[in-house]
Amino acid sequence: MDYLTTILLMAITTALINNMVFHFFVGNCPFIGVSRRLDAAFGMGAAVTAVTTVAGLLSWAVTYYILAPNKIGGQVLSAPLTHAVVQLFRPGYDGVVDLSILSYAVYIFLIAWAVQLVEMYIRKFFPPLYKAFGVYLPLITTNCVILFTCLEIMRHASATSGAEQWGLDKTLIFAFFAGVGFLIAIVIMAGIREELDKADIPKALRGPGITMVLAGILSMAFMGFAGVDRGLEKALHPPAKETAWIVALPTTQPAQGPQGQAPTSAGAPRQ
Amino acid sequence: MAIIMILLAAGTMLILALAAGFVLGWANKALHVKADPRVESILAILPGANCGGCEFIGCADYAEALVKDGAAINKCSVGGESCKKMIANILGVDVTESWPYRPVVHCGAHTGDKFGRHLYQGEGTCSGANGVAGVQGCTYGCLAFGDCERSCNFDAIHVIDGLATVDYHKCTGCGACERACPRHIISMVPFKREKMLAVTCCNHDFGKAVKAVCKVGCIGCGACARTSALFSMEKNLPRIDYEKYDPETAAQELELVMGKCPMKRLLSIGKPTEQDLAGVADEKTPPDLIVDKFETTADKTEWRG
Repeated sequence: MDYLTTILLMAITTALINNMVFHFFVGNCPFIGVSRRLDAAFGMGAAVTAVTTVAGLLSWAVTYYILAPNKIGGQVLSAPLTHAVVQLFRPGYDGVVDLSILSYAVYIFLIAWAVQLVEMYIRKFFPPLYKAFGVYLPLITTNCVILFTCLEIMRHASATSGAEQWGLDKTLIFAFFAGVGFLIAIVIMAGIREELDKADIPKALRGPGITMVLAGILSMAFMGFAGVDRGLEKALHPPAKETAWIVALPTTQPAQGPQGQAPTSAGAPRQ
Repeated sequence: MAIIMILLAAGTMLILALAAGFVLGWANKALHVKADPRVESILAILPGANCGGCEFIGCADYAEALVKDGAAINKCSVGGESCKKMIANILGVDVTESWPYRPVVHCGAHTGDKFGRHLYQGEGTCSGANGVAGVQGCTYGCLAFGDCERSCNFDAIHVIDGLATVDYHKCTGCGACERACPRHIISMVPFKREKMLAVTCCNHDFGKAVKAVCKVGCIGCGACARTSALFSMEKNLPRIDYEKYDPETAAQELELVMGKCPMKRLLSIGKPTEQDLAGVADEKTPPDLIVDKFETTADKTEWRG
């Protein structure tokens, strides 16, 4: 897979298939609270997207350079900045200093900081939106979508977690499209809820109740996106023909399976 | 090594905090919004109950409307007179006299006066009971499930012995009870004095039908309207013209009218005046007597059927 396809698939996966609200069930508070009106919902989604992007990038930088151990040439070392500081005090010390314990405190701190910035920005340039948010804007601080994004990024920024290593590019895509996934979810929900105002709902279900039921149904609907990534991958990079392995191949490459699956050894160029 | 670890952790947090603090400080300057200082000072004066009595979304909205759109300064009933004066000081406008509006419950039937009260097994709210036939004989009067009591933010209206009763000492006139009552028997009246005359019945039926459902209901005889120009009959009920109402000059006339009323449905309500208090000053409060109350607990059970 080439780079662009990876990025595209990652975006689609993050926003639709592993949608923050419908797949991971995080960020339900603003999802229920601010989805009464479409414009406010869109504003909230946009604000959350801005905050996830900023906080995600910051948390990646802090995790990669300060907190989590990383691999350099197969050797696990402390993060670059931490390593440098340790070398100042103890020249030649080769143990791993893992500051991952700070992660939650640092992330909450960074998120709150990003929210403050976004709040000032919105107050300055979009006063009506600022009014529409009311109490929910500071509440972005404790929005699980953002903390979840940061923690997910932490897994992919540290070498010892066993997850795939992300650079700044993939982190940016993930953080931005996590916010976009939340935006999609909340906008769909707001559109439905505006119609619900005119619907004849049993009194006991009105308000958050029917919204929760709807969220469940929507989440089942979003399960339909499962497999879209593989389909897209196949469409963009058709697998080699089944007979392709009979044709002269590099001798180092193992024979492919009958379904034309990718070879098991990584790094072999696709036909 | 543990020491270095701790120092590193502390240093990390410290450096992050310093950097973030600097950026936020810069952003505060760069993205500063010039707010009208008058809005903030008015907001400090307003009670902050956000009750919506002023017909704006909340206190902040009202403060903004006062400064920008020149809204009326007397809208805040909770803050009252002092609040109005302070707002006028800030905005530099003159205070005009306006009457405080207070709720009046147009029903005077306590539990013993209501006929046809049946055991009601539904939701224990007036709005629920109002949708059910046969809860009580009178289809106009107070249902006594206390929707008004629950709507009041100031603990100023209570259902006492089957009748919503306003505590005028606590009432601020925000009108929440008026909006809460499903039978619309509460209306906001301009109180020109501490005690006002009010018609405490809201049954529009003819006298015979009223007698059948209530001991004390207004029978619509029109005696008050014949005696005084303040009253006019409207759908078998007297209506007091509060615009003309002047308790100082019409005191005798009102006494006469109240004497004429056969059902005694014209009551003075409100805070006790100084004269009232002086009248009972030498009376001792009666000692607490143990009175037999022939009630069963079933009367107080809230059925959830």
